[in-house]
Amino acid sequence: MKSTRRHFLKTSAAATFAFNAVPLLAADPGRKYRTALIGSGWWGKNILKEAMASERVKVVALCDADGNTLEVAAERVNDLSGDQPKAYKDFRELLEKEKPEIVIIASPDHWHALHTIAALKAGAHVFVEKPTGHTVNESRAMLHAARESGRAVQVGLHRRIGPHHISGMKFLKSGAVGDVGMVRLFAHSGGGREAPSLNSAPPDGMDWNMWCGPAPERPFNSKIHPGGWRQYLDYGNGQLGDWGVHWLDQVLWWSEEKYPHRIYSTAGRSVRGPSVLTEKEQTSDAPDYQVAVYDFEKFTCVWEHRRFADNNAEKHKIGAYYYGTKGTLHVGWRDGWTFYPANTRDKIVHEDSQLQEPDGHNLTLLWADFLAAIESKTKSVANIEVAHRSSVLPLLGMISWRVGRSINWDGAKEQITGDAEASKLLSRPYRAPWVYPAI
Amino acid sequence: MLVENCYPTARCEALRVHSLSLLVSVLFSIGTQADDWPHWRGPQRNGISAESGWREVWPKEGPAIAWRAKVGIGFSSFVVAQGRAFTLGHADERDTVWCFDSASGKVLWKHSYPSELGDKYFEGGTTGTPTVSGEHVFVLSRWGDLFCFEAASGKVIWSKNIQTETGAPIPDWGFSGAPLVHENLLVLNIGDAGVALDKATSKVIWQSAKKNAGYSSPWPVQRDGQWLALIGSGSSYVAVNPRDGKEAWRVRWVTEYGVNAADPIMDGDRLFLCTGYGKGGALFQLDGGQVTELWKTKKLRTQLNGPVLFQGHLYGPDGDTTDKAAFKCLDFATGEEKWSHPGFGTGAAIIADSKLIALSSTGELLLAPAIPSGFKPTARAQVLGGKCWTAPVLANGLIYCRNSRGDVAVVDGRK
Repeated sequence: MKSTRRHFLKTSAAATFAFNAVPLLAADPGRKYRTALIGSGWWGKNILKEAMASERVKVVALCDADGNTLEVAAERVNDLSGDQPKAYKDFRELLEKEKPEIVIIASPDHWHALHTIAALKAGAHVFVEKPTGHTVNESRAMLHAARESGRAVQVGLHRRIGPHHISGMKFLKSGAVGDVGMVRLFAHSGGGREAPSLNSAPPDGMDWNMWCGPAPERPFNSKIHPGGWRQYLDYGNGQLGDWGVHWLDQVLWWSEEKYPHRIYSTAGRSVRGPSVLTEKEQTSDAPDYQVAVYDFEKFTCVWEHRRFADNNAEKHKIGAYYYGTKGTLHVGWRDGWTFYPANTRDKIVHEDSQLQEPDGHNLTLLWADFLAAIESKTKSVANIEVAHRSSVLPLLGMISWRVGRSINWDGAKEQITGDAEASKLLSRPYRAPWVYPAI
Repeated sequence: MLVENCYPTARCEALRVHSLSLLVSVLFSIGTQADDWPHWRGPQRNGISAESGWREVWPKEGPAIAWRAKVGIGFSSFVVAQGRAFTLGHADERDTVWCFDSASGKVLWKHSYPSELGDKYFEGGTTGTPTVSGEHVFVLSRWGDLFCFEAASGKVIWSKNIQTETGAPIPDWGFSGAPLVHENLLVLNIGDAGVALDKATSKVIWQSAKKNAGYSSPWPVQRDGQWLALIGSGSSYVAVNPRDGKEAWRVRWVTEYGVNAADPIMDGDRLFLCTGYGKGGALFQLDGGQVTELWKTKKLRTQLNGPVLFQGHLYGPDGDTTDKAAFKCLDFATGEEKWSHPGFGTGAAIIADSKLIALSSTGELLLAPAIPSGFKPTARAQVLGGKCWTAPVLANGLIYCRNSRGDVAVVDGRK
């Protein structure tokens, strides 16, 4: 029945086109894109679940360096869609053999650039996780590759399309908050000292060398994989890279300015303790607290995170405060958005979040927007141009922290001015045989 | 009341306790049977107690609470033997082994040792449950600290770190299987397919490959006169000879993050496995080394506490801690869902005297007949707050409940 209906729709649409000779605006709703997932862990499966729910994809292949992860993901795909994707440990082989039309990339950050560029060169549209690159020039290379390919690239900044973010932004832009002179972004949680954990052999069926790819090969540790790599600076950029990018992206969405001109960051591991890396054991090495200050022309934006003490002294633990002359707007996560008027006699305004649980995101909307962009050739909400500008902000914050001073950013040229040492950190050496992508 | 596959140690203890309970029955109330709960999943290691004669309805204001305690952060269950109740908890970078007078809650002894909280995506704290065998109690920490205590006094008979000695990797959430005492051996779920020590001397007798363990407890079954220990490893369930560690068979079972946590169930030649993260369960027929899948289901996706098999039906929670998990009944022969009780969460249940004793993830204790025709509680009461992912335990008329913060409520079910 299903295929008959599809066949009918297809024919009727074609007939409409033929007889009326008008451009076909609505794409064939029965068309299924040959889709592959690179990086088949927790978040990759979350995205793929939305892709399958759209009923617009056929999952042809999965890629992961960990065989167990592949097996779990393949079973999940089969459960949800009946598709029987082929499993690959090497993305190059996947792209060559499967020729996917859409590639979802949810590998760790250090792989984003090479995976994205290869997928674009293979002719696929790409949905890639945030932040775009692990270093600034990777993100620039991704942007250039996307422009050259003409393919759609959507980046996983789902807060660009979340209903409470949209209504909160509308409220903010309506002037209800007054003149905003400062923005504070934050993500706080509890936590304590970090003891080193023992290195071990990678799980059976895991290609650890491939997982590390262009990044340094640390001894395998189950704190890194699965999931923990975000707090290891060889592979991620800590809380600023993981959480900060979402909120910095919100600021760029709100502001008319495209980039800050000066960035300063300080950070440390005051509670977790010094990082450890020996043959026997290791800890993570990302900061457990960080402050990053972004100076724009008309306002200053401060990022702040702590992974200790939690934040029970305030009403909110995650999100953005827009400080305006009429009051403070908090845009958060599960707590929606709330406006606290400066005049305490005025009423607090609040709107709940509308998220997909259990992980509290808006991937359904982001995926639909991606498909629309592919089919109508319009720009998606978190397209690579937009997402590149947001993604470099945490990366610049990390550079300032590493060199221990403010850096001046020429956003038009995408260069750090007057600081050779900091400029060098816009890229990083790759581990052979991988080659840093050319811009 | 003893099942065919009853484990020898359990059989001895059960018989002894049964004799005692017979005496109690004669002296006090005919038709009542008391029972200890000396190790994880109870006297027969199947989540079922033979105990009867406890209250199945409570007064309006709820059941009487015999005693309360605070034991520290964790999910360790209780074990009860010879008038002593044991559990574990974590506070201030130390785990504590607690020994209470089982009836009054008086602390008889406690023993603390340094330990990590280990709060990876949850509260952390202790996750394993002690094992009582004769005069001894055995404890394995998440990080491999292993103790043999004198049950009466808390005196340390021996202790060591079995992880550093064997070099086996620590799985993501630490070791959590309860120790199994088999004859002179102590079998632990450490490494690819377990490790065994001489329980008297702590000498390692055999160990398996240095690969990730799962989180289930070594579970003893007897097939064709031979004992096997079933061990949930990181990517399969393995049956080994507890005497030498020799592998009899292995069923590949890959669960997200290696969380093979629910205990396997064997009924004759049939093996039932189920795990969470959307995976579900399957029933296998074992014929020598040959494994045939009889059915599989997505109706029992058990992330934490395994179901109980009772009179041809499985009773247990379906779902992850992040889901709205339901409590379900499935036909063991077919996998057909008989009923589903929503809103239960990832709590757990045991069965005694044909009744479910179930503690929901939010601390509601429910009593209901274990029947496939429906979930019809005869009593329910909010006995704890917070988060309860630990199976309640019934021993000698008392129901031991705890939450993740370590609040303990011992419900008095004695008539």
